[in-house]
Amino acid sequence: MKDHSLGEFEELVLLVVAAHHDEAYGVSILESLEEHLKKKVNISAIHVALKRMEDKGFVRSRFGGITEDRGGRRKKFYSITALGKRMLDQQFSLRTILYKQIPKISFS
Amino acid sequence: MKPYPPKNALKFLRWFCREDYLEEIEGDLTEVFRKNLATSPRLARRKFTWSVIRYFRPEFIKSFKPNYHTYTFAMFHHNLLIAYRNFIRYKSSFFINLIGLSTGLACALFIYLWVNDELQVDKFHTHGDRLYQVKENVEQDGGMITRITTAGPTAEALANEMPEVEYAVTNTFDRIFNEVLSVEDNDIKAEGLYASSDFFKLFSYDLLEGDKNQVLSDKKSIVITEDLATRLFGTTENIVGKTIEWQHKKQYLVSGVLKNIPALSSVKFDFILTFEAFKDDNDWALSWFNTAPQTFVLLKEGSDIELLNKKIAELLRTKTEGKASHRTPFITLYADSYLYGKYENGKQAGGRIEYVRLFSIIAIFIVLIACINFMNLSTARATRRIKEVGMKKAIGARRSSLILQYLSESSAIVLVSLLFAIGLVFLFLPQFNTIVGKHLIVNINSSLILGLVGVVAVTGLVAGSYPALYLSKFSPVIVLKGKRNSLMGEVWARKGLVIFQFSLSIILIVSVWVVYKQIQFVQNQNLGYNKDNILILGSEGKVSEQKETFISEIEQLPGVKAVSSSGHDMTGHNGGTYGIEWPGKNSEDRTEFERMPANYGLIEMLGIEMKEGRTFSRDYYDSASIIFNEAAIKFMGLTDPIGKTVKLWGMQMQIIGVTKDFHFDSFHEKVKPAFFWKAPYTGNIMIKIEAGKEQQVIAQLEKFYHTFNPGFPLEYRFLDTDYQSLYAAEQRVSTLSKYFAGLAIIISCLGLFGLASFTAERRMKEIGIRKVLGSSDFAIVQLLTSDYSKMVIMAIVIALPISYFVAKSWLSNFAFKIDLEWWYFVGAGLSALLIAWFTVGLLTVKASRINPTECLRSE
Repeated sequence: MKDHSLGEFEELVLLVVAAHHDEAYGVSILESLEEHLKKKVNISAIHVALKRMEDKGFVRSRFGGITEDRGGRRKKFYSITALGKRMLDQQFSLRTILYKQIPKISFS
Repeated sequence: MKPYPPKNALKFLRWFCREDYLEEIEGDLTEVFRKNLATSPRLARRKFTWSVIRYFRPEFIKSFKPNYHTYTFAMFHHNLLIAYRNFIRYKSSFFINLIGLSTGLACALFIYLWVNDELQVDKFHTHGDRLYQVKENVEQDGGMITRITTAGPTAEALANEMPEVEYAVTNTFDRIFNEVLSVEDNDIKAEGLYASSDFFKLFSYDLLEGDKNQVLSDKKSIVITEDLATRLFGTTENIVGKTIEWQHKKQYLVSGVLKNIPALSSVKFDFILTFEAFKDDNDWALSWFNTAPQTFVLLKEGSDIELLNKKIAELLRTKTEGKASHRTPFITLYADSYLYGKYENGKQAGGRIEYVRLFSIIAIFIVLIACINFMNLSTARATRRIKEVGMKKAIGARRSSLILQYLSESSAIVLVSLLFAIGLVFLFLPQFNTIVGKHLIVNINSSLILGLVGVVAVTGLVAGSYPALYLSKFSPVIVLKGKRNSLMGEVWARKGLVIFQFSLSIILIVSVWVVYKQIQFVQNQNLGYNKDNILILGSEGKVSEQKETFISEIEQLPGVKAVSSSGHDMTGHNGGTYGIEWPGKNSEDRTEFERMPANYGLIEMLGIEMKEGRTFSRDYYDSASIIFNEAAIKFMGLTDPIGKTVKLWGMQMQIIGVTKDFHFDSFHEKVKPAFFWKAPYTGNIMIKIEAGKEQQVIAQLEKFYHTFNPGFPLEYRFLDTDYQSLYAAEQRVSTLSKYFAGLAIIISCLGLFGLASFTAERRMKEIGIRKVLGSSDFAIVQLLTSDYSKMVIMAIVIALPISYFVAKSWLSNFAFKIDLEWWYFVGAGLSALLIAWFTVGLLTVKASRINPTECLRSE
């Protein structure tokens, strides 16, 4: 919880969690990431990111109901915390500010 | 293909994954797997496995440690508490275990100290791994004998001619000279040896002063220890270059000061003179044919020992022009010589290592006997704790944790015993040191502590394993129903262990008895001469110059019966020669005859009986006369020997007498051929004293000696003490094994006592009912004792044959030995039985006299 940094991949995962709002769990995050990134992602990487962010206090989790699809295991749903949202906002504004400083360059 | 993820991968995941993450991860993985299944089952499975492997990283691996830690600590605490309560509740068995284990462990510790010390002897030399001793196999008529003496020039030749040899040294390790050193008026008897100049490059005796490459290079040098320096000069400083007078004959200059000789050196000495000086006085040492000094070599790394042995043998052959072909030199590691010093027929045949092994085995046995007590008492009392086991199992204790409980209980008692044992060791160390003749100290270092921890672990494991495995086995249902009866197997195991204990004890009793008897036999045997009341003096200074005067003066002293002198000390091999020729001798024969230079009256004084002929006499001209012992006459095959002539070193000698055989060597050896001749070099003055007048004679002698031989302190020995020291090792074994056997018996009996008291207690009601029904006290005693008698008798049956072989093999070390009488064995068996009866008897008598109303009252 001391560490308030946010890695690139973690940021992506956090964005997806925020976007799904309270309905995000491992596989759904995996699927939407794969869809947007257009490449294969390993589920373990997502879990690593989720656990780390949970430790840092960016997301929180709850257990959902049992579904047949998962061999009787409960889903674990993630939702973004206020701190996580603030982190995303910071990141976003930082990037926007920096982006805006880019002079008009012609790449022709 | 079944829609299930790969089993092994899942198992692995469940094994390592944190429990709070497991459900989620497993669920997600399964979901992905199901989805992938649609495209390719094989791929899906592979992917699943791969993903599982990817989870094997610190974040997901369950933390084995903290959980485990708190759990073990709690269990440990709990186990100790239960152990403590048990000790308090069953005090008698606790004390039996405590006494047994602590004395057993104390024994083991003593033996460990001794063994450790023995193993360290002569191991302190820096180049010990390359330091070799030259020995010689000498062919004799009766087989090969091995000697450590070599020819004087050997070292020089080896250093010059063998490229493998870095340095070679001649010294006189086997013969320490007791000589007088004087500084001004200060005359001190000290022990010294001779060594050639590279001595300190081979042997790591540290020099306080002087350069180790230089101190022995000058013939006039003497190196002394700091202890001797203090005795001579009162200081160890600034004495290099000072003069010391040796035997009031020669002057030597101190060239170096040695640190005191370490206790772990098998050779002890106070000063070193150069071998060059030795050669000046002893020109025989220049010859390749005389062997007396010892040779040591420092080999270069990686030398081929086999090859070198051949080369050394070849060297001797060329140097002696083939005339000493019966001698085959070879080299062995000097560090091993102390423990492996015995040779039989040219082959290594043990030595002190046998006693090291013997005592190590005894130590293990004694601890084992104490462990058996623990096992027996624990299993016998199992019924009392069986409910505890059932209860624990019923609330979910696993077998492993029960095993752990009993093991920690046994370790706890072993640990407590160890503390007592250490106390005992400190208490009795001085006595033990006197018995073994060492200066052992308890050196608290890491290896000792590690060793102690090891002992606790191993003993705890051995003592605790059987009860642990046995008690934890019960099914809780049967136990809590109260249906468990003593199983036959259990009873048998217990009986077996008691039988084993008693067998060991009986073997020890027999061994002690046999060793004792043999030593008695050796001490009291008719040696063929009378060793009592004979004083031996060395001859030096004026005594050796005017020996006859000295002898005739001494003879005048009141209390002195007879005085003579001999070149032989009568206790062991002094020196031999094959320079005797007789008609019909095989020219290849190199069997040595023991040389005994004698003065007039020696044979009579020693009480050696003559078989025929006469002894040396002043009435005859006896310089060409020789007297053989019977063994020699038999060996030469001479009939009617008196008056015949033989050649001794080329001189004609007439046989004037034959003595009966007498033991001039230890009883390990057969009586070898020996001969006396009237010779001037008779260094041992022997004085026969009237019994009971020793003190008086010694006082007078002291006075006379002081005026007759000024500058030489009087030093004397008694022949019978010298004789006893031939058997020092056996004496030691005898004393030690007496103690150990006693302890083994006591510990076994303690165990038996514990078992018997337990059974008596358990059968109290039965005894009560029997008494009510009219059984006599005696019948009850019989009932209770018969079980134990059977066990002990069984032990006797097992132990006697084994002890017979043990005794037989020990006795085979002696050429003269006692016969193994049947009653040694029967006696040992009976005494074991009696001791057992006595132990159990007290209890059973007490039990049989109980008032039935007392034990039947409460139900």
